[in-house]
Amino acid sequence: MQGRIRSGRTKAERRAALLAGYRPLPGARDEFVDAEGAVRPHWEPFLQEWCALSQDELLQRFGLADRHVHDTGVSYRVHGDIDERDPSAGERPWPLSHVPLVIPGAEWQTIAAGVAQRAQLLSTLLDDIYGPGEIVAKDLLPAAVVSGSPDYLRPLHGAPGGGTLQLYAADLGRGPDGRWWVLQDRAQAPSGTGYALENRLALTRAFPDMFRSMNIERLAAFFQSFRAGLVARSKRIEPRICLLTPGPLNESYFEQAYLARYLGFLLVEGGDLLMREGRVHVRTIAGLKRADVIWRRIDGDFADPLELNAQSALGVAGLVEAVREGNVHIANGLGSGVVEARALMGFLPAVARQLLGEELILPNIATWWCGQRREREAVLDRLDEMSIAPAFRSAGGGLDTGPVLAGDLPASEREALRARIAARGMDYVGQEIVRLSTMPVFQNGRLEPHPMTLRVFAAATPDGWKVMPGGFCRISDEPDARAVSLRNGVRSSDVWVTADAPVEPLTLLPTPDRIAIRRITGTLPSRAADNLFWLGRYLERCEATLRLVRALLGRLIDSDPAPGRSGTVRRLGDLLVAWGSAQRGRSQSPATQAYSALYSLDDYGSAAASVREARRTASVIRERLSVDAWRLFGDLQSQLTPKEGRKPSEGEAYEIADRALKTLAAFSGLSQENMVRGAGWRFLDIGRRLERGVGTCRFARQFAENDASVDSLDALLDLTDSQITYRSRYLLGASLQPVLDLVMLDPYNPRSVAFQIERLEAEIADLPSLTEDGMLEAPRRLILRLAADCRTAEASRLDRTSILLFEQLLMGISSAIADRYFLQNSGPEGSRLTGIA
Amino acid sequence: MIYDVRHVTTYGYSRQVPFARCIMRLLPRDGSGQSVQKSELSVMPRPAERSDAACFFGNRMTTVTITKPHRELKVEMRARLSVERSAPPHPGLTRGWEEVAALALASDSLAPASPTHHIYPSRLVPEVGAVVAYARTSFGKGRPVLEAASELMARIRHDFTYDPAATEVSTPLAEAFAQRHGVCQDFAHIMIAGLRGLGLPAAYVSGYIRTIPPPGQKRLEGADASHAWALLWCGPETGWVGLDPTNDLIVADDHIVTAIGRDYADVAPLDGVLIGPGSQKIGVAVDVIPVG
Repeated sequence: MQGRIRSGRTKAERRAALLAGYRPLPGARDEFVDAEGAVRPHWEPFLQEWCALSQDELLQRFGLADRHVHDTGVSYRVHGDIDERDPSAGERPWPLSHVPLVIPGAEWQTIAAGVAQRAQLLSTLLDDIYGPGEIVAKDLLPAAVVSGSPDYLRPLHGAPGGGTLQLYAADLGRGPDGRWWVLQDRAQAPSGTGYALENRLALTRAFPDMFRSMNIERLAAFFQSFRAGLVARSKRIEPRICLLTPGPLNESYFEQAYLARYLGFLLVEGGDLLMREGRVHVRTIAGLKRADVIWRRIDGDFADPLELNAQSALGVAGLVEAVREGNVHIANGLGSGVVEARALMGFLPAVARQLLGEELILPNIATWWCGQRREREAVLDRLDEMSIAPAFRSAGGGLDTGPVLAGDLPASEREALRARIAARGMDYVGQEIVRLSTMPVFQNGRLEPHPMTLRVFAAATPDGWKVMPGGFCRISDEPDARAVSLRNGVRSSDVWVTADAPVEPLTLLPTPDRIAIRRITGTLPSRAADNLFWLGRYLERCEATLRLVRALLGRLIDSDPAPGRSGTVRRLGDLLVAWGSAQRGRSQSPATQAYSALYSLDDYGSAAASVREARRTASVIRERLSVDAWRLFGDLQSQLTPKEGRKPSEGEAYEIADRALKTLAAFSGLSQENMVRGAGWRFLDIGRRLERGVGTCRFARQFAENDASVDSLDALLDLTDSQITYRSRYLLGASLQPVLDLVMLDPYNPRSVAFQIERLEAEIADLPSLTEDGMLEAPRRLILRLAADCRTAEASRLDRTSILLFEQLLMGISSAIADRYFLQNSGPEGSRLTGIA
Repeated sequence: MIYDVRHVTTYGYSRQVPFARCIMRLLPRDGSGQSVQKSELSVMPRPAERSDAACFFGNRMTTVTITKPHRELKVEMRARLSVERSAPPHPGLTRGWEEVAALALASDSLAPASPTHHIYPSRLVPEVGAVVAYARTSFGKGRPVLEAASELMARIRHDFTYDPAATEVSTPLAEAFAQRHGVCQDFAHIMIAGLRGLGLPAAYVSGYIRTIPPPGQKRLEGADASHAWALLWCGPETGWVGLDPTNDLIVADDHIVTAIGRDYADVAPLDGVLIGPGSQKIGVAVDVIPVG
């Protein structure tokens, strides 16, 4: 009733408005309404709830979902949309459709049974292909249907788990007759589980009560089973499970990082893994740690540059051997992609009868492999009515055009295709053209029908195949229901499977009595440590540049210049040039230098360039950063992007630098207050402390020479944020030795070099040691020496040379940390083996 | 014929390499008319781990891990083997090529020797329309497969220039074909691409050819280095026949087989992944000496 008063429209009127003009596409079935245009009963509860909301309320709910999508940074990448310098640049926000696909529980039973059956069938088939090969020998499947696939990985033949299926997905479409059909099998490394989860969370944000009132099946149990399935594959009770990603340039990197965090797996790239003594290890800061199970999101062929694709930079040299030795379980088995071939589809009904003694519950779309004479002739006879597709994923060579509708081709191309099929039919399949069903999408204030496909997932678990009650629904923007690929212009939506009874909520949190208390969070891979360290350094570098810019602009807009002002301005400009933030030259006024130090992406030391680098390093370790922290990068980047049109005034630029510094302070606050003091935080902080120590030494050398003016010393106090402290301690204006003591040697001043050194000393002491002989490792040895030097130093004896020495020792510690903990150097022989776990 | 083969490969690095993992397919395989009497593979510096196994196609494969920092890697293969192949069939008496293609496509075996592995494009032998069109000229309707393939081989020998400077391991097949220049590896790949384009099963062979020609005969191309040629499956009765387009020869007792695969990528003699930046220089020396 409330809604009625506010909106001034009745429920019935809203319903009429939503449904206005909703007509199924010709020849296609619609999920939402029947042929007469009546809303199907299982959508009624949903529609009722929607109609209870006014248009404003509805849009407000959508806003909640969209904000969730924006805040978690859900994104995907479009192929070819890549900027090496800024991996997160080509990411697109996730296009969420706010109308879920509703499927009644009874109907879902059939889909789930069909997908589980198919998973079992393909799994059995894979075991046979990489094992005894009886299905081919018995003539149920021509050998050429297997051997033509570039994903048939011969080195895996006979290897344990060579083709084991752990996660399977089927892309389904519903035909005009109401039956669900399998359009495509996904057995390589199916994507979409994470996106399905994200869609669910976003819609839960928008319509929390509907999930209760409509008894919608939850997804968490599926992920729990999936994880249990992976754990069960290991010989160890608490296995180390890695998610092997192709890296941040991959189109679904976000999903991988998200799933790694959600499931508690270690996100690794090929370079993080090392094969030694027949086993796969993760290279961590504490040495080599065994990887027991690898959930791969790279194609099997790319997994080992030695025995598989030599061109691959994504894999691990020797991985196939580790698989053969049975020392690591890879999910899906490296060779699993072979059953994705379209050529296979036409044979599956007969194979199912033979292997399972069952008929397929879900049929696949009618497929004729043109490697057989009768089928080839049938396809050529009816070419115009068919969709023609490559029989196998192309091995590369640019022939993979994807499916085409032969009838839509110009005559010359159609005849060329005919000739190719006649000559090498085994490379092609003909498939019946599917007319997909449509579902509603909210557009311009009402609902419209759009074609859709549904990806359903099944996971192998100790209790058999478990199917995710829901899925990943993709919606086309084209009204053509024959659309054969939904890659372009797609939206996606949540899938609601309704149960008859209320659904018990379940999250991934285990029951309290079964979980052992733990205070250390896993092991930190060397690559992650490296990136966190550099993230810290770039952020601090950005901060230092911003402080320089602010100090410079503050002096330019000051109407009452102090003595020595022009010298200070020159020095500030010189330092910007020395840092690579700005250019030198006659045309470069101090103000121009300040602008380029803020904005210029061509000057590697500018604040904008440092943020770009920080974001690049962060994007590689996204699973380790909170959503809030990630959002700050976006804020910083937009603050440091010049607005269209005109150059800001000096005063405005000052404000911009000031605001960006506040955003950075927010990041520091987050990392200080919200990050667990594990090894990850430690490397981030070490990076910041080193950079700040080095920067402060440089400031001191530039502004605290023996004959430095009061203005110059003031600048040093500004740059180190120490004005207030200085004034509270000393009544007189800035003078050399007290300033130097405060900036360099005072361990109580959090901006001083001494303070950074003390923090570094404490943090380096907490890093893991690999030596067993009781000797100090290089980073520790160097910091202890520097700390002693610093504690015993006196301000009266500090000069450019001794400050430079501090600076160099700090740089030395930076290299020692890189040598010891990061990947670029592997250290002397044997030193890595001591850490084997 | 009995041969002593010695094949030495030396890699020189501009910087110290602390870690390397290599796979070597240098030890010759038994079968197809040859038997290996003895063979050994030595690697310097001494590997920390070494394993010897056979790959899917039955080639011998040695994997080593070297953890000693080194600036030079030396791999030496020595073998003594006897080669005695049965005489090749009369080309004119082999089956018609279309029939051979149909039989290969209908194969019911995934065993390593099955023709089914060799009718599709592979990593280094993609389908190139121009190459298939070039090959088709020799394959008139119903022509015996070996007769047609021998003619193709002769045409490659005639139309292409042997030129070690023209191509590298990484030169794509289409480029070598367009240039009409190349080395044995390119010619083998081109021949295979042409045959497969017609649906015929064609494999790639790495190996050697005798260095010192018999008295009165001219020296063969591809000696003093490893050699490569093609294998064509001519039907279930005849099986695989070696065709060397570099020398326009049906393979008999002058050829020594090291490994068989779909293309060079399956049988690359030495492949490695090392840690450490820097450039490398490769030296190769091969001696094939008939000893009786």
